[in-house]
Amino acid sequence: MKRVIMLVTSLTASLALAMETQVLPQSTFTFDFAYLSTSLDKQWSGDGKALPLVEESRRYEPGAGLQGILRPRPQAQLDVLLIQALYGITDRLTAAVYVPIVLNSRVNTNISWEEGDYQSQLGRKYSEDDFWGWASSLGQPRVPEQWQAGVRLADIILGGRYLLPENEWMSKNHFRWAATLQVALPTGTNFDPEAAVSVGTNLWELHAAGDVEAHVSADKHFFVDEYGVYRINIGADLFYSFFRPREYTAGRGTVNPLLNNNAFFVGDKYIVDGGDWIGGTISVDAVPFLGPTRASIVSGGNLEKANALPGMLTLTVSYTRVQTFQSDWQSQSPLWDYDREKFWQPGVKNIVKATATVSLLRVGVPVQIYARYQSGDLLPGAYTRPANVFTAGVRLVAKFW
Amino acid sequence: MTFTKTVALFLAIALVACGPFSKPPTRETIEVRGTPYERGLAHGTQLRSKVRSFYTTLLTNSLFPYLSREQPDIVSFLPEYGAERFQNGNFAYELFLDSAKNIERSLNRATREELQGVADGAGMTYDQILVLNTFFDSVLAVRGVALAIRLARAPLLKSVEFVGAATDGVDNDNDGQIDESGEGRFEPYIPELYGLAVELAPAAAIRLVLTEVDGVDPATVRIFLDNQLYTSESPEMVITELSGTDLEVTLTPSTPLANALTTTLVIGAGDKKLISAPLPVRASFMRDEEIAFTTRGAGVNRRDVRRPPLTDGRTRPPPIAIGVRGSMTAGGKSFIAHHFSLLDANTAHKHTVAIRHVPESGPAFVTVGWAGIVYGLSGMSERGVGYACDPADSLDNSVVGSVLEQVADISKAKLLAKGLPIGFLGRRILEQSTDAVSAREVIASAEKVYGWTCVLGDSKGGLEAIEVDSDIFNDGSKGVFNLSTTELDATGRRYASTSDDDFVLGSNYVKNVPDIASLLVAGQRIVPQRQWSGFFYRSRRAVDGAKGRLEAGKGTIDVEFLQNLISDPQFVDSSDSMNAVVLDFENLQVRSAMGQVPATAGPFEVTEVKP
Repeated sequence: MKRVIMLVTSLTASLALAMETQVLPQSTFTFDFAYLSTSLDKQWSGDGKALPLVEESRRYEPGAGLQGILRPRPQAQLDVLLIQALYGITDRLTAAVYVPIVLNSRVNTNISWEEGDYQSQLGRKYSEDDFWGWASSLGQPRVPEQWQAGVRLADIILGGRYLLPENEWMSKNHFRWAATLQVALPTGTNFDPEAAVSVGTNLWELHAAGDVEAHVSADKHFFVDEYGVYRINIGADLFYSFFRPREYTAGRGTVNPLLNNNAFFVGDKYIVDGGDWIGGTISVDAVPFLGPTRASIVSGGNLEKANALPGMLTLTVSYTRVQTFQSDWQSQSPLWDYDREKFWQPGVKNIVKATATVSLLRVGVPVQIYARYQSGDLLPGAYTRPANVFTAGVRLVAKFW
Repeated sequence: MTFTKTVALFLAIALVACGPFSKPPTRETIEVRGTPYERGLAHGTQLRSKVRSFYTTLLTNSLFPYLSREQPDIVSFLPEYGAERFQNGNFAYELFLDSAKNIERSLNRATREELQGVADGAGMTYDQILVLNTFFDSVLAVRGVALAIRLARAPLLKSVEFVGAATDGVDNDNDGQIDESGEGRFEPYIPELYGLAVELAPAAAIRLVLTEVDGVDPATVRIFLDNQLYTSESPEMVITELSGTDLEVTLTPSTPLANALTTTLVIGAGDKKLISAPLPVRASFMRDEEIAFTTRGAGVNRRDVRRPPLTDGRTRPPPIAIGVRGSMTAGGKSFIAHHFSLLDANTAHKHTVAIRHVPESGPAFVTVGWAGIVYGLSGMSERGVGYACDPADSLDNSVVGSVLEQVADISKAKLLAKGLPIGFLGRRILEQSTDAVSAREVIASAEKVYGWTCVLGDSKGGLEAIEVDSDIFNDGSKGVFNLSTTELDATGRRYASTSDDDFVLGSNYVKNVPDIASLLVAGQRIVPQRQWSGFFYRSRRAVDGAKGRLEAGKGTIDVEFLQNLISDPQFVDSSDSMNAVVLDFENLQVRSAMGQVPATAGPFEVTEVKP
């Protein structure tokens, strides 16, 4: 069987701020703790058809035809703790650090078997058990029904957002724009080249965000009250994500001799240039409920400032379209490279998110809680792997001086 | 920066970032020039990644582990293979390296230099390239020994009786006598090249006796007749255990067969002893025995019975080679068509290559083969000489010969291939031969590693064929059995032709029968090809099918006809098809389909033999 590796399109760096252009006031901290439950069970073909994550594997008995076809339908589940710390350096510039910790990774392989040619030496066709018995006699253990890994650090992301200067028209029309730059540190892990099933935690394998991302965002407020609080906001974001080429170690078949033995012709190391992304998001924030407001420690005892704090309930829906570029595997075997690149051709992700945020700032509690559901398969994409992610988080706001 | 400029910048980056993406070719055509070493070096360098991946995916990841499964059986016969050197997964590689080194003694200096060139170009060791270039013959020989060992403990079809044939008033066995004693009963059962019996009563019962020392498991008995499957559950089948070893099976079809029918009776069974190492657990199963016969009104002699296509879903076509000329073809042209099938293992098709050699001296030539292998199983030279060869299983092979030579101390005996692999003989044909006759002599004069059948042709209309084995008993044949289109066998039939101008050869012998005498060596049964080879019956069927097609196309056969013929599913192994080739002698063109499975799922592409 072909080695089962997941590239889990799942975790999206979940910015702790509402709106596309939001920054923190000077000297303000925000600490955000989010739990993400992400699941993935398909990939898109070029024409938007849902395919299993792993290609079927046709197994042959040398000189005796097709033994059968292994058809994995893996389902991957990742539980992630995303810790975010943001700090308002000035009223226009906010710095951030995102620390994603993969708490638990599980892959159910769900392998089915289709019988192949009649095998005269057996007097029957291979059943799945026959095949794995045969494989075990060659030193190849059966691929486990479930693979699991514990706590692992993913790539840490450092970021900064600058609220760009507004001209008079922008100010008058409640229009603002910002630029964001994110850079990832290589603290995640690669998949295990000797394992039959394995998931790495670097950004390329999580397909979460680029190693370097540049965003230009804009927001337009509607129904703004005298304190500057909006009831409707429409935001837009354009971004470019750069992925650095990553070096991987080829398998030597030490554990799975029939599945992972390719170093001799691939080379001990190979490079994966995953292909950059370009994308855009349109979002709508609605504030149906401003809530009670009182002067508190959060507003420095100032009711007017309290009235300028975010509404108690914000509902957000957004649509993100990501255009992914052609991947490039660079080993000593162009044929092997092609067999991987064909699944990562220029493609599309269509991501729809819905978020509800409850902010208690107006009532003097420096806490926001939120829940989000992100669907990657509501709208078909191409040559990408759509993850569905449920997020629940709590955000603490603090100002120490 | 304005908003518009920002968007424009993003779009510009997107356009630049879209790189090209294309599938690397799974078939290559390369030209190599110069000395043997230079040509080998060019081959290895140009196909470096493919040579390495072919070696790994076919040998390291597929054949070596697969053959290592045979180690317990072989150790039980040849204890030397229990030694430390053959442990820890090294059994197959060490075994083949021993054979390769033995074969190397038969290689001339130029060949060894070319292999060294390939190794240097591909960044591999000489030994690895040597093993890669000798594995076809070595694997077939070792596999043959292993299969013979395995079948020796499987049920054997002891006798076949068409009930009532001795009293039906018809000469059912074409011996010139009607209803003589025992007519219609065949004991011992010997597999027949053509029909076993003719003009049988359509309602006649068929009685079989199967035998095995561990007993035949009645539940495993399976009979397929006239598109009908019968098992131990079928009321038409009566099974009686005659003894601890013998099982009698009587089949009386509930509805009589049609009149004037040519059909095949397929018999299979396993024994009662389950083998659990290596896994999977299984009984020892006999080869499916296929008996061709006719019913009343067919009007053909046994020798003229042609096996019809079999639709039981358990059989795959073998490799086949066809030579045509003169009266068979449009315009009297000469062609050889070849569909080679053996083992693709989901990898060989990704490594196919047509290599045009332009030596410093001698003719240019084209081989159709695989990356890292310096020959093909077919090819053509600039002199207009070409060949196509297919394996013909035989225990009269050099590996069995090596065991016989060491039989005095079987505890130290090893399986050693010896002689020249057929592919290297093919290369010698392309380098040296001036016509089909001299090409045949190249094969005839060499020491052969294994059994093969070859069709040879030339641009002057020469058409020859040969069957070879290793002649391990020095029976006077030298392992050479020349075929001619006009020669008749003892029954008066052409050996492998439908006319004076064609050959159709599969993967069985038609003249070298029996290829070896039945005997016991160190407790192992050695029997002729037709009694054990998995190719035998399917080869007979494919040859019969191809003969019919040639007869229908007589006088009109051309390149397109032959391409269509060897692309017909009747002749295509959908799992292990490796390449399909038509040699066009008049135009000095090699037309090959390869690079996919089956090979003929893609187009035939032309390689000019002349540089």
